[in-house]
Amino acid sequence: MNAQPAERKESPCVGNAAEQLAARKQRILDAEQLRQPDRVPTYMPFLNLLYQLEGVSNAELYNDPEKAHQAMENAARRFQPDMCESLFLTPGVSRALGDRMTRWPGYGLDDYGAYQYHEQEYMKADDYDAFLADPSDWAIRRYLPRIFEELGGLAMLPPMGLISKGALYFFGDAAVYAMPPIVKAAQALFKAGQEHLQWIQQMIALRKRLEAQGFLLGMYFEGSHCCAPFDHMADTLRGMRGIFTDMRRCPEKLLAAEEKVIPWLLESAATVLHVRHNPYSFIPLHRGSDGFISLANFDKFYWPQLKRVILALIEMGVTPVVLWEGVWDQRLQYLAELPKGKTIGIFQATDLVKAKQAIGDVMCIVGGMPNSLLVGGTPSEIREHTHKMCETVGKGGGFIFSTEVGDLQGCKPELIEVWAEATREFGKY
Amino acid sequence: MPILDEIKNALADLNEDLALQLVRNALAAKVPAFDLLRACQDGMTEVGRRFECQEYFVSDLMMSGEIFKQISSILEPELKSGGARSAGKIVFGTVKGDIHDIGKDIVVNMLKSANFEVIDLGVDVPPEKFIAALKESGAKVLGMSGLLTLAFDSMKRTVQELESAGMRQAVKVMIGGGPVDANVCRMVGADNWGADAQHAVRLAKGWI
Repeated sequence: MNAQPAERKESPCVGNAAEQLAARKQRILDAEQLRQPDRVPTYMPFLNLLYQLEGVSNAELYNDPEKAHQAMENAARRFQPDMCESLFLTPGVSRALGDRMTRWPGYGLDDYGAYQYHEQEYMKADDYDAFLADPSDWAIRRYLPRIFEELGGLAMLPPMGLISKGALYFFGDAAVYAMPPIVKAAQALFKAGQEHLQWIQQMIALRKRLEAQGFLLGMYFEGSHCCAPFDHMADTLRGMRGIFTDMRRCPEKLLAAEEKVIPWLLESAATVLHVRHNPYSFIPLHRGSDGFISLANFDKFYWPQLKRVILALIEMGVTPVVLWEGVWDQRLQYLAELPKGKTIGIFQATDLVKAKQAIGDVMCIVGGMPNSLLVGGTPSEIREHTHKMCETVGKGGGFIFSTEVGDLQGCKPELIEVWAEATREFGKY
Repeated sequence: MPILDEIKNALADLNEDLALQLVRNALAAKVPAFDLLRACQDGMTEVGRRFECQEYFVSDLMMSGEIFKQISSILEPELKSGGARSAGKIVFGTVKGDIHDIGKDIVVNMLKSANFEVIDLGVDVPPEKFIAALKESGAKVLGMSGLLTLAFDSMKRTVQELESAGMRQAVKVMIGGGPVDANVCRMVGADNWGADAQHAVRLAKGWI
């Protein structure tokens, strides 16, 4: 793909950079807290659109933070979003660990690819007993060597519980830590840590750079990451095929495993809140939407556990940002059970007019623009849809206009401009 | 034959242990393997019907696929000697740049259980590979799956390659995957799109 560099346009905006930034922050905050801002805010996940706008490969942006930051600045100046997102993490962590689970441009994909997760049954059905007996031991000595090439040496470690022998443990087993495969694993972990730290510092720099120009970088993905305990067991462990058969073949083991997961999620969220001072917890949901599992299974395996996580997060002062992937039209009554004004809901393919009626007073609704319209629609279709969304879902506030899929890759820049302009026109309160 | 109805119902009810045991018992009792396969296919048709009625969900389709796969393995040695006539050939794959395969696998399983011969090209399939498979197999239906928005472009290029190869009129194209909708179908130039596996089976049955 050889895209031409985008023309850098400047749109008219009110006030100096500090004033614009303050206005954008207030607009987003008002919507998040179910108030009516001055107009409907736009939230643009630029992600894998950036390389297309710049006319370079995706790998080039991932490997060159300065180019990526300049690309973000260019995109923000061109489209004037109220909030935006940049590239998703760095392939450096995966590269350092010899990650078999993910693919990145230049790592498992060609240079123009987009990050993808390679779902497999990384945990087999007969791993349940070991997982339930001692999940940390199983994860460190069996699971990590399976999914990370550089961490194969961890399989050599003695049972992790033995460490509770203290000095006596090390008198007997210290030598294992000098074995080359273990040393290699330790070095890979150190390298991954350095890569991640670098990324965090780059994001801090990007945020400052954009804010100096009046633009707001989103904070949702830099908070803690939680999940539905069912999805935790599915996403990176049993896979979809595995978890769906587990519901029939070993339901009690699945339920017991979900109970193990909950305290980990909550402790992680508390740490991020108090150490990194980020009040958000991003919760992408994958298998609970309409069509995947019956309501009976949803009531047994999915919702009670997810609701407990969400309520506990709210209790500790965290704002859950739940990505309700797929369609939730038939399950909106469950969302209505959540405390009013305490969560943010990003929606993919749910009927948002229905959602507004059912849960408009419960959570801020984020979403509304089908990516397919920005790829292959016409300007008049986009304007008509924007008008409808602002009038219906935007009524009374509590709405942040974003795309259904959180990545603008493939969308036509001129159609994104139509969307941005139309929102400024129709979204005024 | 009562045993065939019992097998059909056990599969339709997703009673894994019972379905497998009944098939083994029936084979031991010299019931023809093709009759057993037919009973299983009837069971899968019932699964599809329950899915369309929203009585069953994707998880149930996957479970039915697991049971059907195990039964097919049991019956395979007995079936090899005969020549079951397939309902037709379909080339299927996840398009270039996209490695998601679970949705594709569900559709492929449902098509196979409906007696279609499916040439599954896997994931990250470039246009030329689809074209080559269509030429080699003589299949008249192409199915493309994609979960990322970059898949739209790959789907479109594949349809353009079909046109360049002079094959577009002879081949029906269906697309599917998370963000696929009528807009995408129009943009890509496909003949139709499916929101789920059962829709894909209906499209295939209508075209072949």
